[in-house]
Amino acid sequence: MTRVFISYLARSIVATMLVAFAATTIAQEAAPADAVQPEQSRSLDQEVQALKNEVLDLNRDLFLLEEDLLFPANSQVALFVSMDVGEYFALDSVTVKIDGKEVSNYLYTEREVDALIRGGVHRLHMANLKTGEHQLVAVFIGKGPHGRDYRRGATMTIDKGIGAKYVELKISDRVRQQQPEFIIRDWE
Amino acid sequence: MQRFRLFAGLIICALASISLASSDLAGQPAPDFALKSANGENLRLSEYRGDVVMINFWATWCGPCRQEMPLLDELYSRYQRVGFNLLGVNIDDDTGRAMKMIDELGVTFPVLFDSRKEVSKLYEVEAMPVTVLVDREGKVRHVHHGYKPGYEDKYLDQIRSLLRE
Repeated sequence: MTRVFISYLARSIVATMLVAFAATTIAQEAAPADAVQPEQSRSLDQEVQALKNEVLDLNRDLFLLEEDLLFPANSQVALFVSMDVGEYFALDSVTVKIDGKEVSNYLYTEREVDALIRGGVHRLHMANLKTGEHQLVAVFIGKGPHGRDYRRGATMTIDKGIGAKYVELKISDRVRQQQPEFIIRDWE
Repeated sequence: MQRFRLFAGLIICALASISLASSDLAGQPAPDFALKSANGENLRLSEYRGDVVMINFWATWCGPCRQEMPLLDELYSRYQRVGFNLLGVNIDDDTGRAMKMIDELGVTFPVLFDSRKEVSKLYEVEAMPVTVLVDREGKVRHVHHGYKPGYEDKYLDQIRSLLRE
């Protein structure tokens, strides 16, 4: 609804500016040709340039406004998945529950796992949460050491304050135990 | 009275065309999905961007699917090397039965399992089988509901023309 309203607002403003621009151009064109001085045409060029700049600025502002309205920074929570080495764990999927409600169930393809191992970070989910405490449960499914089916959960209580929150779900290897390790931590 | 009937008829036609248009995916970007395949690999549609992709929704209880699948497999083996891919999406709750049918029919194209029915909802699958053709740009170009002998010729023409683009 907000998106529709914003795009309607944007269209109306851009349309109004275009009409104003067209009116100016027509008014200029309607004047006798011999009356147009070089200085006047230069100032017209400047006006057109200024108008273009204004349209660009408006576009940028609307884009930012749309983002702010859809995912207000105050309630924004973003979850990222990262992987370190991945020798003891072949990732298949990650399921995330926030306050008991499943918000994401993502299947990773071979290419995506490869990208994670090479240092890529995947934005798994973006949500809006109220301030206060929230229970986050992430279940990692894949193949563990010796190709065995592996399913491990990790839990964290998110303390959502004012401002955006970034949470990392990190899969790393515990070389000494020869087991994978799953950590959920805040990204400050 | 006659005028009223004509008016009512026009309204019904308009409503019917609106509902048909809204259920038609053709021309829209193909909704992306990732599913587990019969060989255990996860496959994601967007990773096939650049290829022509046919998505065939099927179920073990669907007779026409049994008829159609070997014909689709022929198309797959013929055009796979020139950038054509086929993803068979099974919607059964029991994947074991689907695996058995794949073995029986001997199909070679990747079969994915949509047990949660999320992908069939995305593609508004209301009949069986449903065959969707996606172009190299990732846009849905053709949607076929059901199967009758002779449809494979239509598929062939459409695949060839999409491959030429």
